[in-house]
Amino acid sequence: MFLPPRLRVLIDGNIIALLLFIGFLAVIPLSGHRFYMYIAVLIMIFGMFAMGYNILFGYAGLLSFGHGLFFGVGAYSVALFTLNVYRDPLVGVLFSIPIALLTSILVGVLTLKHGKVYFAILTLALSMIFWSALVKLRWITGGTDGLTGIPKRGVLVDLSAPTTFYYFILVFFAAIMLGLYALNKSRYGLLLRALGANEDRLPFLGYSTFTLRMIALTVSGVVSALAGSLYAVFYSVVTPDVAYWTFGAEPLVMSLIGGSSYFLGPLVGALIFVSLTTAVARFAEYWMLLLGAALLAMVLFFRGGLLGFLESLVGGLKLGVYRRWRF
Amino acid sequence: MDLTPFLVQALTGLYKGSLYWILALGLILIFGVVRVINFAHAAFYVTGSYIMYTFYNHTGNFIISLIMAMVLTGALGVALEVTVIRRVYKLETIYQLLATFGIALIANEAQKLIWGKGVVYIPIPETLKGGVSVGGVILNHYMTLIIVAGFLLFIATILFMNNTVTGLRIRAVWRDPVMSEALGINTKLTYTLVFFIGTALAGLGGALTVPLISVGPGLADYLIVTAFIIVVVAGLGSITGAYIVSILVGVFSSILVLTIPELDIVVLYMIAALILLFRPQGLFGER
Repeated sequence: MFLPPRLRVLIDGNIIALLLFIGFLAVIPLSGHRFYMYIAVLIMIFGMFAMGYNILFGYAGLLSFGHGLFFGVGAYSVALFTLNVYRDPLVGVLFSIPIALLTSILVGVLTLKHGKVYFAILTLALSMIFWSALVKLRWITGGTDGLTGIPKRGVLVDLSAPTTFYYFILVFFAAIMLGLYALNKSRYGLLLRALGANEDRLPFLGYSTFTLRMIALTVSGVVSALAGSLYAVFYSVVTPDVAYWTFGAEPLVMSLIGGSSYFLGPLVGALIFVSLTTAVARFAEYWMLLLGAALLAMVLFFRGGLLGFLESLVGGLKLGVYRRWRF
Repeated sequence: MDLTPFLVQALTGLYKGSLYWILALGLILIFGVVRVINFAHAAFYVTGSYIMYTFYNHTGNFIISLIMAMVLTGALGVALEVTVIRRVYKLETIYQLLATFGIALIANEAQKLIWGKGVVYIPIPETLKGGVSVGGVILNHYMTLIIVAGFLLFIATILFMNNTVTGLRIRAVWRDPVMSEALGINTKLTYTLVFFIGTALAGLGGALTVPLISVGPGLADYLIVTAFIIVVVAGLGSITGAYIVSILVGVFSSILVLTIPELDIVVLYMIAALILLFRPQGLFGER
């Protein structure tokens, strides 16, 4: 390789796999299959959601049951903004970022100081506050019916053609994935992983656990909210369901399926989860049963997720595609 | 100003709070002793409701159905403790939460498969049909029964924990499992016993709910959040605190429905969040 060392460390199996996957996604519309494009859009949206979630779960070791809150904040801020302020999906999606930032900081101040068990329960409670506010504040949020008519065609951009919309999502997806990869490679990525590995040691090295957790929560919250806002534009509808805690637990399941200690684990999980739920939901109503069983099996037998399982199979064959966080 | 509606809501809140208490007690015992946050606890509660419904429809006997609901739910709890929960004791807290979360998902779906997606309910037993007048408001005998049962359960738990040998053993394991083991207490058996008591209590609560509230899918999702909030606001591990907070939550939420129906749950959760912000160990918890 003729790259300078600073750039060379950026190249590993993860980024190659990621770029290949993005390239693959980019050629899907050429097939002209609307159904494949639909699935791919869902995989991208939930991929972002799960990757964002895993910053907190896999990196910082904090279990959140309230990520539906961030997803919902993104979805509702784009809906309220485009319907009431400025009719444009792109501006709406960008508008959700500062809102998500503020929400994350507020949530962080309320939840991060009390330890991991409290964090899980408090995020759950906060997402339920948000959910019940969405249901109850009917004159703003439309209650259980939610908000409809989020425009795909706006003042600045027109996303009403499926292919245009597909690439709109792909651009966000690629930007976020590369951004997360850069974070993963940066000093802060290392510090966040250190937080998950041994949080007691960090203060000895002069780092504030609270600040690092706050960074993890903010990145995680903003990425999740972006996924939520794209989801809202995609369906043109938002309902309070996206903020319910069972919905917020889906990225958790995705991260576990793929392997929460691997950079690409959540994305692999989202791929499997979306494909499975779309395929299985057609003939089985009770797929949540399988989901619960899969979760249980993961916890009891394959705590590394699918990537961990693969790694144990091809133990000697270190392709570098899957990388462990925890040692 | 007519205070009758407030009195009605306060009495409704009392029985609701008593049911929350029965739910929260099992959760606290399991968390305190077994040190596992049981995400599936509300699923056990609802299982109790369904078992009650089935037995009542077959036998028509309220008492037998109630006992069966308790025993069978407890047996189910023991079965899960032995097969699954026991294997995650040594893992990180996150994995324990995940395992019980998986059980909750499975239980919810299994209930839909067995009892259908509709709601179930049974009539209030004939002998308890009447009511007494409290300040001009009729209080149903069944609600009185639940309020009294909740209070008796509170007294019984305190007596059991403080005045029996088994209670002493449970408290010992609660305080220090390693030392208890060294002193010859069978901690494994204690864990299983506590899991049985906890889930049987959930079954009892669930069974008592069916004649009042129609039970159906989704109830567990809602209940587990309320139970968590009660336990955390009371302070993880405080039995007396949990009783007081349960009753307060029940009464307060019922009165809020009357005064600000648009925001009743929101206000309740907000108060809980504020309490935790200023008193993270909970109202009755030790630091």
